[in-house]
Amino acid sequence: MSQVTRRGFLMGCSAAIAGLAGARFNSMAFAQGGVNNEEILVVVFLRGGVDGLNLVPPIGGADRGFYEAARPTIKIPVSGVGAALPLGGGFGLHPAAAALHPLYQAGKLAIVQAVGLNVVNRSHFDAMQFVELGTPGSRAISSGWLTRHLASAANLPSEIVMPSLAIGDLQPASLLGDLETINIANPDQFSLDNGPWQWRSAQRVALRDLYQGGTTWQHQSGVQALDALDIVELNVAGGYTPANGAVYPNSGFGDHLKVLAQMIKLDLGLQVATVDVGGWDTHEEEGGATGYFANLVSDLSAGLAAFYTDLDGAGAQNYTNRLTVVVQSEFGRELRENSDSGTEHGYGNQMFVLSGNAIGGLHGTWPTLAPGALTDGTDLAVTTDYRRVLSEILIRRMGNNRLGQIFPNYANYAPLGVVAGTDLAPDYSTTGDTIFSDGFENATTSRWSSVSG
Amino acid sequence: MNELVVNRPTNVDRRTALREAARAVAGAVLPALPAGYTSRPAMRRSLRAAQSFDSSALPPAPPLGAIVLHRLGFGPRPGDMTAWQSLGANDDARLVAWVDQQLNPAAINDTVANTRLAASGFTTLNKSLVQLWQDHHLTDPPWEIREQPFYEVEMATFVRAIHSQRQLFERMVEFWHNHFSVYGYDFLIGPTWAAYDRDVIRANALGNFRTLLEAVTKSNAMLYYLNNSVNSVDGPNENYAREVQELHTLGAENYFGAIPASQVPRDGTGRALGYCDEDVTAVARCLTGWTLRDRSWDPNFGDTGEFFYYHPWHDTGAKTFLGVNIPAGQPAMKDGRDVLDILATHPGTAKFICKKLCRRFVADQPPQSLVDAAVATFLANTAAPDQLKRVMRTIALSAEFKTTWGQKTKRPFEAAVGMFRAAGGDLPFRLDDNQATSWFSWMFYQTGHPLFQWHPPNGYPDVKEAWKTTSPKVMTWRLANMLVQVDNGAGQYYLNVIGQTPANVRTAWQITTYWTERLLGYFPPTEEFEILLDFMAQGRNPHVNLPFDTDEDTRDRVRALVAVIFMSPSFHFR
Repeated sequence: MSQVTRRGFLMGCSAAIAGLAGARFNSMAFAQGGVNNEEILVVVFLRGGVDGLNLVPPIGGADRGFYEAARPTIKIPVSGVGAALPLGGGFGLHPAAAALHPLYQAGKLAIVQAVGLNVVNRSHFDAMQFVELGTPGSRAISSGWLTRHLASAANLPSEIVMPSLAIGDLQPASLLGDLETINIANPDQFSLDNGPWQWRSAQRVALRDLYQGGTTWQHQSGVQALDALDIVELNVAGGYTPANGAVYPNSGFGDHLKVLAQMIKLDLGLQVATVDVGGWDTHEEEGGATGYFANLVSDLSAGLAAFYTDLDGAGAQNYTNRLTVVVQSEFGRELRENSDSGTEHGYGNQMFVLSGNAIGGLHGTWPTLAPGALTDGTDLAVTTDYRRVLSEILIRRMGNNRLGQIFPNYANYAPLGVVAGTDLAPDYSTTGDTIFSDGFENATTSRWSSVSG
Repeated sequence: MNELVVNRPTNVDRRTALREAARAVAGAVLPALPAGYTSRPAMRRSLRAAQSFDSSALPPAPPLGAIVLHRLGFGPRPGDMTAWQSLGANDDARLVAWVDQQLNPAAINDTVANTRLAASGFTTLNKSLVQLWQDHHLTDPPWEIREQPFYEVEMATFVRAIHSQRQLFERMVEFWHNHFSVYGYDFLIGPTWAAYDRDVIRANALGNFRTLLEAVTKSNAMLYYLNNSVNSVDGPNENYAREVQELHTLGAENYFGAIPASQVPRDGTGRALGYCDEDVTAVARCLTGWTLRDRSWDPNFGDTGEFFYYHPWHDTGAKTFLGVNIPAGQPAMKDGRDVLDILATHPGTAKFICKKLCRRFVADQPPQSLVDAAVATFLANTAAPDQLKRVMRTIALSAEFKTTWGQKTKRPFEAAVGMFRAAGGDLPFRLDDNQATSWFSWMFYQTGHPLFQWHPPNGYPDVKEAWKTTSPKVMTWRLANMLVQVDNGAGQYYLNVIGQTPANVRTAWQITTYWTERLLGYFPPTEEFEILLDFMAQGRNPHVNLPFDTDEDTRDRVRALVAVIFMSPSFHFR
């Protein structure tokens, strides 16, 4: 509620949007003055709990021994066919992630190890909620962390056509309560161009009247959809050719990243985007250097590499210089493989940060895989709170230091050094914005993802 | 349908907004409206700045009959509101009569739906589990044959929701499929999907929860989906053990996390109030050996696709579950059945299931008083064969049910089915129809709500926050435009708007009134009606006969009107 009126999102008026069609909306809005944030944050969520220990396995030292002993069937070899790709520091990258290896070597990929929630929770749905709501241990809040970032950022343009985009069929919990988000799976289909042709225009007028004629949540959502239609229909026409010869994998994830690149290049002021990738809950037949998990990793890596290439360099207006991609999951998996050649739900995990401003390399404190170091005797420990990584991106890249609002109850932030940028003192205050007291949803009762199960 | 879209100008919408703006500036001829309605040119409102919304605002409640038909059924068909009136002297009597009729589905004559199903030419719906496994898996058939039971159930689900008189039963089937959600379009699961739908979900939809829970646990679909098929003493697999507690019974609200079991609070009988990770391990152990016959190479198993308890795989040691001792060396399947008994009678389960039912049938955030009443019924009838029927009766006849409206949005499935029902429409829904049925299936997939294809095990969300967002909304609107135009290639519309407009309905006023009331089952707020009338009248006197019988543009306008009503706010409230 509050953010809509504050920034005047979209003006709720197709005529105004039409008047701006063709113009590079972003540059126009920015021209209105003030120091605006032009950064784009993309959050890729790996649903199901990615096996970080096989994504970035130890390839040397004592940990290699613990790793091999625990994973006789699914371990990634250190040499020969299917060997891990060396990252330095005793770790390697899953061989199916080969597409990301050059980016790592070029210093564009930061990998944070042993990162996760500060509370142990092995329920997918709880853990995802905690991560995405930004409130570990609690699901009581009515907005996602990205919603609160957008609501609290002081450096956004006064008007943005498309501040946030959720690629996929539904909007994730990280954007819960954000009434500006457009969620879209297929821009070619995102249109009402299929009505009886001579009445399509009149249909649109009638729909806008119908939805602007009331004040309920249903009316709000209809206006949001109509605004989104105006934007997408006016801007997306014809096919899309990726820059720099980037080739996206032929998969849902590849398609979604391609859509996102296309939307980014429309320059509609996009600040935040989310992309989901499912299938990581590998309880059986996970495979090692090849197999089920390897195929997922291959798709993930090829997609991310194509996305980066498509937005990189002069041929793509150097979008990567203001782009930060975070890849995260709800939890890691047990060190020990189970008898079905899979892995059970675990705890600590890896997080990837891909950016033109990344400080590449391995980050975080490695707790080791020694029996005594494992959480509950089974799982990689968590030595870095995931909020620390996100906070650093928020401050150094997005220029938003309102950590008290975005991650309530989080304290003692210090940068880990995963991205370059200017440090700001964190603002831990939780007051000053109505989103906590006056969110569109009732803060005491809205727990949609958890209760949907 | 395809020709309609392809052969006509496609660049119109690119300029839509500009034209709208131009027309708004030019102003519009005021339509002459009857007394009681204030006229206002629609375009003027288009230029209003974004209005403020009120998070607590709700639409006015329609008559109870409409609430019942939209929330306990898939929306009214022509005649349903009249039939409602004849059920009793007042709404309370009508509600009791309707609910009691619907809660006894076997006594409802469903010839129309059955005849309609037969016309679809399905061949797998009545095959036994073993036959399905044989015909669609063991023979290693091509993918279309392998997944044929899945496709047929998907289509039959539409046919039944649209045509069945047993509307509440179909609603319950929808609920349990979503509660015990399985991704059905799968190599091993698709071949027996007809058995899961028929023998597990439909057989128990209004029955006993404990019976339903065991049927699910032993089902081919769930055994594969959540890996209990490979859960053995030498290799425990916790996937189902965790989700059966978190998603099917106790709910995440009763998960105490990774704390020791000894620290979970107990009730007066020593039973834990919820579960922790040790309980997950215990349930996995109790369910070891609950697998299925899918090993042709192993004579102990065989390969019939049936459920099978294999004792050598069972962990016979003692376990403790929710503080209850499960002794070592129990007879076959007793450990697992003890677990299911404990879960099905636990107050936490009653609360979780009842809240979900109330959420489905009443409101996203249902009144606690209603949940409590349903819980009481659930717990008082844990052994009753009609336990779920009794719980539903408590919910449907409650004061809370009658007085709640507009806190939910229709999910794409119920919106689409509601369109068919309201407009008396249908599609072939045949596997061999690669025209209209295929187009519909593909477009429906785009809504984000394809049947039985939610990947994670928690089922499709059931709150408006998920479904009021732009993608499902726009794709559902798009479906409405498709449905009012789709034909069989020989000029026969599957949703025959023109043919069903009565001969004495020819003015914009009459047409708008007729279709609005028919599609919604009630008269919408005046302002909504005026906008629809504006659309139909297009600036002319709404009481003049339109050239309906001679002018295809006028007919198209009526089709477009029906689509707009399908897209209107009122159509999507529940």
